[in-house]
Amino acid sequence: MQFVRHAPAVVGGVVGAVVAVGALVAACSDGREPPRALSEAESAALAPADPHLAELYETSCKACHTVRDSLAPLTGDRTQWDARWAQGEETLLRVALAGKNGMPAGGQCFSCSPDDLRALTRFMAGREGAGQEGG
Amino acid sequence: MTMTRRKALAAGAGAVALGAGGLAGRRLWLDREPPSPQTVDVHGNALWTNWTGHEHAWPATRLAPADEAELAALMPRAAAPIRAVGSGHSFTGLVPTDATLISLDRLNGLVAHDATHHRATVRAGTRLAALGEALAAVGQEMPNLPDINKQSLAGALATGTHGTGKTMMALHGGVTALRLVTPSGDVVACSRDQNPDLFHAARVGLGAFGIVTEVTLQNAPLRRLRKTTSIVETEALLQGWPDLADRHRNVEFLIIPFSGRALLITLDETDEPPVARGPDRDADGLMQLKLLRDLFEFVPALRRRAAAFFLDREPPEVAVDESWKLLANERPIRFTEMEYHVPIEAQVGALREILRRIETSRRDVFFPVEVRIVAPDDAWLSPFYGRESGSIAVHAYYKDDHAFLYDLVEPVLRAAGGRPHWGKLHALGARELRALYPMWDAAAEMRQAVDPEGRMLNRHLRRVFFDV
Repeated sequence: MQFVRHAPAVVGGVVGAVVAVGALVAACSDGREPPRALSEAESAALAPADPHLAELYETSCKACHTVRDSLAPLTGDRTQWDARWAQGEETLLRVALAGKNGMPAGGQCFSCSPDDLRALTRFMAGREGAGQEGG
Repeated sequence: MTMTRRKALAAGAGAVALGAGGLAGRRLWLDREPPSPQTVDVHGNALWTNWTGHEHAWPATRLAPADEAELAALMPRAAAPIRAVGSGHSFTGLVPTDATLISLDRLNGLVAHDATHHRATVRAGTRLAALGEALAAVGQEMPNLPDINKQSLAGALATGTHGTGKTMMALHGGVTALRLVTPSGDVVACSRDQNPDLFHAARVGLGAFGIVTEVTLQNAPLRRLRKTTSIVETEALLQGWPDLADRHRNVEFLIIPFSGRALLITLDETDEPPVARGPDRDADGLMQLKLLRDLFEFVPALRRRAAAFFLDREPPEVAVDESWKLLANERPIRFTEMEYHVPIEAQVGALREILRRIETSRRDVFFPVEVRIVAPDDAWLSPFYGRESGSIAVHAYYKDDHAFLYDLVEPVLRAAGGRPHWGKLHALGARELRALYPMWDAAAEMRQAVDPEGRMLNRHLRRVFFDV
C-alpha cells in the first residue's frame, strides 16, 4: 500500500534534512564532529562498559535498540538520540519507566532499577559517563 | 431567490464542514494515548506492564537469579504469589503479582548441543531472536517459530506459543526434556522417561508448576526458506486453504477486514541464493489500513473500494534466507489479541462468521485477522492436544476498544469447539477449560502436588485452575 507511503516520506525527508542541516551547522560552529548515523551492525557492536549494565542491556534493550525495524532509536546513533536527549534526562527516565510506543514500562528490563534505566538510556544515547551537560 | 439559494449553499457547506470537523475531532479524541498507571506505587515499587500495557502490577520484590541454584535457594523464601516473567508479551494476566516477580533474563544462552541428533539444551530465559542466531551458529534451527521474536523460550513454551504449518507442531512439540524448580526449591528433571507425568503436565505449564530453567529441544538441520508474501482475494483463498496447507511447509494468511483481500504468506525449503527480506513494511501497511479506517469508517463501501484498489497494486514480495530470519518478525505497533485454536474442519466456517460480525458491527476494526494451522501434540495443557488445529487470531490496536473480542468474537470461537491460546485474551475459567482438555484433571492434580499451597497462582491463574 504505497499510496500514502510517499507523502510521509517526503514530509519526513524535508523535516529530516532541515534537522540534519541544523545539527551540522551547530556542530561545526563549536568545532565538534557532527553525529553520524550508525548501521545496525555498528550499533549492535556497542556495549556498556559496566559489566552489570552490559548484562542488563544484552538481555533486554539490545533486542530492539539495535534493530531498525523495531522503530526504536539505534543505540549510539546520535542522529536519532540527540533530539531526545535534549528533552532532558528526567523526561527520558519517565519514558523508560512508563513505556512509549512499542516499548513497555521499564523498557522490557524487568530487573532494572530506575538508576539502571537512567544509566542504560545514557549509554544508548551515546552519553555514557556523561551527565546532562556532558554532551 | 438567489440569496436564499446562496444561504442554503452556505448553510449546507457549513453543515458539511461542521460534520467533518466533528468526525475529525472524534477520531483525535479516540486516538489519544491510553492513561498510564503510576510509574511508582505508594510503597515505592516500580510499575510492571505487559507489552500491550493492559496488564500491570507493582511487584514488591523483583529478583533476577543468575543460575538455577540461586533460583532454587530463593523459591522457598519468596513471598507469594511468585510469578516468572520472560518478555511480558502475554496479553492475559499470567504475570501480574504484588509480591515476587522473577525475571529469567540472566538464565540465557546455549548450554550444550548434539550435532548428530540436532538437539540443543538452552537456558529458559533465552529470547527467541537470540536463540535463532545461537542455534544457526551450530547448524540447527527450531523447525517453527511464532510471529514475534521477542518472547523468552520459557514464556513461549508455557503459553503454547506456535507458528504455522500442517506438519508443524507448536514450539513445545520439540521439547524432549526440561528442568523445573518447584515452589519448594526442588530441582526436577523431566522427560518422557523421567518424571513423565510432570513432563506432560508442565511442558505447557502457564508458569503454574514452578519455574523452568533449562529446556532440551529437538531441532532440525539449519535450512534456507523461500518466503513469498502476496495479496489475494479472500473468498478464493478460503476456498483454496486446505490445498495451500497441504502444499507449503509453512503457510498463513491475514484477512484484511473491509477490503475483500488477504495477505498470503508461504514458506518452503529451497537451495536458491539468499535474497534479504528488506526493511519491514508491515508497520507502514498497518498504519495505512488505520488511515483508511480513519477516513472511511462511516462509508464502508468506499473503504472497501479504496483498500482493494491499492492492495491489488501491491507486488508480491520474495525473500530467501535461513528460517529463523524469516519466520518471526519485529512488531513495533502495539496491539492486543484473542486467539483460539479450533478443530481444523471448523476453522473456515468460524472465520467467515467472525468476519461477518466485524464487518457488520465493528467498523473501527482495521487490524488483519490472522489464520494459521498447527499439528497435534500430546502435552496435557496444549491447546493442540490430540487434534489438528486451525488458529484464528483477532487483534485490536492498543488505543482501540477491544470489548468486541469478548462480545462478538469469543462466542463464535467457543461454539466452534476452540481452545484459547494461554497468552492471549479469553474469558474462560476452570469449569469451561476442564471440558476442553481431556487430561485437565491429571494436569491439575500434578500442579497441586508440586504447589500444594498455591504459591505460583495469581488472580488470573486462580480463575484458570479453581474458578475463583
